Amino acid sequence: MTVTRNWPAWVAIARTSIRYHYTYRFNAVIAILFTGLQIYLLTVVWKAAYGDRAEVDGIAIGQLLVYLTLAQLQLRFLQMELDGDIEGRIRLGQIGFDLSRPVGYPSQLLAAAVGDMIGQLPMLAVAFPIALVAGELSAPPTMTAGVGYAAALVLAWIVAALLNMLIGLISFWTLEMSGFRMIYNLVGNFATGALVPLWFMPDALRAVIEVLPFQAIGFVPVSIYVGEPATGALWSALLLQAMWVGILILIIRWVWGRAYRHTVIQGG
Amino acid sequence: MERISIILALAAASLRSEFQYRANAISSVIGGMIYQLTGFLVVWIIVDRFNTIGGWSLAEITFLYGMRLTAHGIFYMCFSQMFEIDRVLISGEYDRFLVRPISPLPQLFTRKLRVNCFGDLIGGAALLGFAAQGVSIVWSPLAITFVLLAVIGGALVEGAIQIALGSLSFKFLSTITVRNTVNEVFNQYGNYPQRIFPELLQYVLTFALPVAFVAYFPASALLDKAGEVVVPAWAAWIAPLVGMVSFLGALRIWRRASRGYQSAGT
Repeated sequence: MTVTRNWPAWVAIARTSIRYHYTYRFNAVIAILFTGLQIYLLTVVWKAAYGDRAEVDGIAIGQLLVYLTLAQLQLRFLQMELDGDIEGRIRLGQIGFDLSRPVGYPSQLLAAAVGDMIGQLPMLAVAFPIALVAGELSAPPTMTAGVGYAAALVLAWIVAALLNMLIGLISFWTLEMSGFRMIYNLVGNFATGALVPLWFMPDALRAVIEVLPFQAIGFVPVSIYVGEPATGALWSALLLQAMWVGILILIIRWVWGRAYRHTVIQGG
Repeated sequence: MERISIILALAAASLRSEFQYRANAISSVIGGMIYQLTGFLVVWIIVDRFNTIGGWSLAEITFLYGMRLTAHGIFYMCFSQMFEIDRVLISGEYDRFLVRPISPLPQLFTRKLRVNCFGDLIGGAALLGFAAQGVSIVWSPLAITFVLLAVIGGALVEGAIQIALGSLSFKFLSTITVRNTVNEVFNQYGNYPQRIFPELLQYVLTFALPVAFVAYFPASALLDKAGEVVVPAWAAWIAPLVGMVSFLGALRIWRRASRGYQSAGT
């Protein structure tokens, strides 16, 4: 992707996304309140499940509560709307303008996603206090866990953006996506491990979820944060995420190549 | 009597119009069902792994979840348009309701049908069916009648709250965020045995927002757990009645508020 050459265009697109978020800040606060309600409920339910036990399967209750709080908080901020944007622009025919710009479409989308993220950052000032009241947050147990989490979070963001873009590209073939997207979101949300960490999933379910990319968005980074790296070692956890980034980029390239030609044929 | 047949005809028309787009309607029903069942999957995994939540077994929690979901499905089937009241008032559609010969509220309710309510109903009924054998309830005709009354009462509790809050729209035009948030609380907190919450929250979910009356109280009564709720046991048994009474109260609030209606002028 030609990010460096088109830097100014890239920045302009990102800026538009930031402004968009500022306009809808009230909705964003409500969304965070909903996340707060969910965090509180999840932590209470899991506390009740633990009962008097201090730890289960090597996972201490304190670790689990921080896990649930951070996972929900993190998912709220990794929620993207690229797919809906793409569909909307195709529906209205605005996609023609997007494609005629001298910046490749996937990198325009990536720029929009970056702007999206920056636009959401001020909301952390609302989200942190709410998460602290609703659930439990504490510093990572070790320096390594903290640094590892920072790296894993960046990779999680990239995986989330790429996945979202990939789903959006399907709109080049069909616009009847609402049912599919709803199911995808539900499965995806569950498969991140933000509601039930993979530690506690039944083996068969866990085996399925481990071959899906969604755990790279939730379970992998958050389990690093609480000091229980997902697949044993920190490095292999990060490597797993990086592998998904690679796979998704390859898939997007392939899909985009076909989507682009598909559009040209129709656009006569 | 004639009024009721008009309302039924309107409801049938909105059902027909939804099923004109059959594929879309069916995928909405399935989507609604999957949505609720992922919520249940979380509960199921936790109880499967830890045996109980707050002393409730898997069958008992499934029963509670099924009751809440069925009640919610009935609520959504009948009153989903309460979520559209802001739009109806702002767009001036309400003016049209006023010139027709039946009162506006039934016209609002039959305006459109959200078919995903059938997903909730199917999912809820399935959970109730699964749980029925596992719980220690003797299924006498009386018990079955109580379950039926309780889910209708639960739907009326949710309806009452949404109608009462929707009445505020006559004054403030836009109250959808408040109603969505309240709906979210019902949807999330209504599915669990409330004794796992701190006592203060249990009181809030009983008297401030009557979430407990939707399913937790009647389920506790049937499951012989009425001793653990924050109200006397008899109060858990009269949950269906509470639904009816609060619904009538909400209708009064609506009638009073709607007298203050001023057309938005569009």
